[in-house]
Amino acid sequence: MQIQVRCGCGEGGGPAACPEWAVVEVQGVLQPQPCFSGRIQGLHIGRLCSTSSAPSSKGGYTFTVGYHELAGSKVTLKKPLLVLRKKKNDKGNPGELGQGGQAAAAAEVELEVIGIIRHKILFKDRPKALISKPVPKEKKAMPEAATPSTVPPAS
Amino acid sequence: MDAAMEDAGSEWDRGSGGADAVLGLAGAGASLSVCYHEAFGPHADLILLEAADDLLPDLLQGRVTVRGRPEEEAVLCTPSATYAMKFVGTSNSMFLIPPGEAVAASLRPDHTNEDATVASDAAASIIKVAPGSIELVRTAPRLDKLRSLLRERPYVLDEDLGDGSEDKKGLYTWQDLCVLVQSSDSELLEGLNSLSAVEIDGFWRTVDVGSVNTVLDMILHNSVLHDWLLNALPENGVLSVMESDGFIHKIVTHCLSRFGTKVEQEGGSCWRLDERLVCLQFARRALSTGKMKLNSFMDKWERSIPSGMRPDLQMLEGEVLYERLGAETWVHAFSVADLPFPAERFAALFRERPRWEWKDLQPFIRDLRVPGASSEGLLIKYARRTQPSADADPIFTAR
Repeated sequence: MQIQVRCGCGEGGGPAACPEWAVVEVQGVLQPQPCFSGRIQGLHIGRLCSTSSAPSSKGGYTFTVGYHELAGSKVTLKKPLLVLRKKKNDKGNPGELGQGGQAAAAAEVELEVIGIIRHKILFKDRPKALISKPVPKEKKAMPEAATPSTVPPAS
Repeated sequence: MDAAMEDAGSEWDRGSGGADAVLGLAGAGASLSVCYHEAFGPHADLILLEAADDLLPDLLQGRVTVRGRPEEEAVLCTPSATYAMKFVGTSNSMFLIPPGEAVAASLRPDHTNEDATVASDAAASIIKVAPGSIELVRTAPRLDKLRSLLRERPYVLDEDLGDGSEDKKGLYTWQDLCVLVQSSDSELLEGLNSLSAVEIDGFWRTVDVGSVNTVLDMILHNSVLHDWLLNALPENGVLSVMESDGFIHKIVTHCLSRFGTKVEQEGGSCWRLDERLVCLQFARRALSTGKMKLNSFMDKWERSIPSGMRPDLQMLEGEVLYERLGAETWVHAFSVADLPFPAERFAALFRERPRWEWKDLQPFIRDLRVPGASSEGLLIKYARRTQPSADADPIFTAR
């Protein structure tokens, strides 16, 4: 079987025209408080804040989730990531599809490039606890969050 | 949740994810709220593919396909190269934020009052947590399958006079091959050339050995009858004589190109037959009945080849193997063209012979080209090298 990779934006504009997606990457996982389990759509997670004054430089960021603060930076990917969307051509719903071209049905499948990711905002350090602000928020950070981090505060 | 979210899947598509705001966030103190999208979910139909910048033009302009049957590992093909697709998982949480302007955060009613600043300003929305991405690794095209497909039904001369039935079993068009063989177009074409395949009536075929021999014989006969030089066969003359004898145009030019090269001359196109290729074909024919003593083989071979050509054992490199049995040397056909491509090659070689000297082995592996590995590298991977003494030739055995 042959799956065509298409891109709606490719014809005229080339790579520049492909809409850019953003990625915020943190270590570990976010765990909603148990009361939200199963229904987290629309839920507020935290606040992303730029800490450097020069725009477009390899700026610093903080990400405050509940009473944890993460320090990170914007990273340009060595190789861009394309966001592909699996489409079945028979107008059906995009049902449950496996990875890597293992469509269960023999229906015509197409991969559409719907975006490109060139940068991510990466928080690779453990979170720092904001002890002075004991505000109960909606969410807790990583499972590791229980351990106080050794990361110095972002300036 | 999964099923429900898949159904709502197209809702998030309207460009309000807020990626622009995230990427544009700059200046000390600038900040942005981050939330789960209303359509947040597993979105298994969204896949991340890592692609180096040089692959982007092909990917974005529709020149890339994913090829393979469900039970095969998928490969990605550009017009000229084949890539293995490897899913690489991550233990980090990669929050995907779709493009577009950030919209006002829509907190659920039970939380709107908690934090006025959050509720009122724009938010970037996470649509999915990506479990990882697909990486591309250049790989060799899977051409063994091409070979076995084309061997199902080689072209034979008589079939032109055949029943003309609609049975297309074992016949493959270019489109069929693109679907069945995991290879980029240009590598597929190279593979077809190296199998000496020819497109006849829209189907890519190998040509039955007996038929090739018959056509070659007829060309040589006619060259004697018409006083043509073997290094300057007039194309028009050959074609008209052969076609009047009932050979189709396609198969005659195929054989000419298989055993010679075309030379454009003032009086029209000519074909120069290649001495090595012609002699090799006669050697194969001489050995087709099985193993022979070297002397009798040489006799038979020399007698069979067209006059004016001179046989030389060097022509047979990579095509035959010699064996010493007592005082006699025996020879048998063993052609590199019949050996499978990389993965199985060494297994096939060691089945034929458990121990190989380098000079014997080299002709059978020098055509191996695997991205990222030299033939020396492959040798180290698949064979064990032993050297009885410092000045002795190395011996290769199976690992």
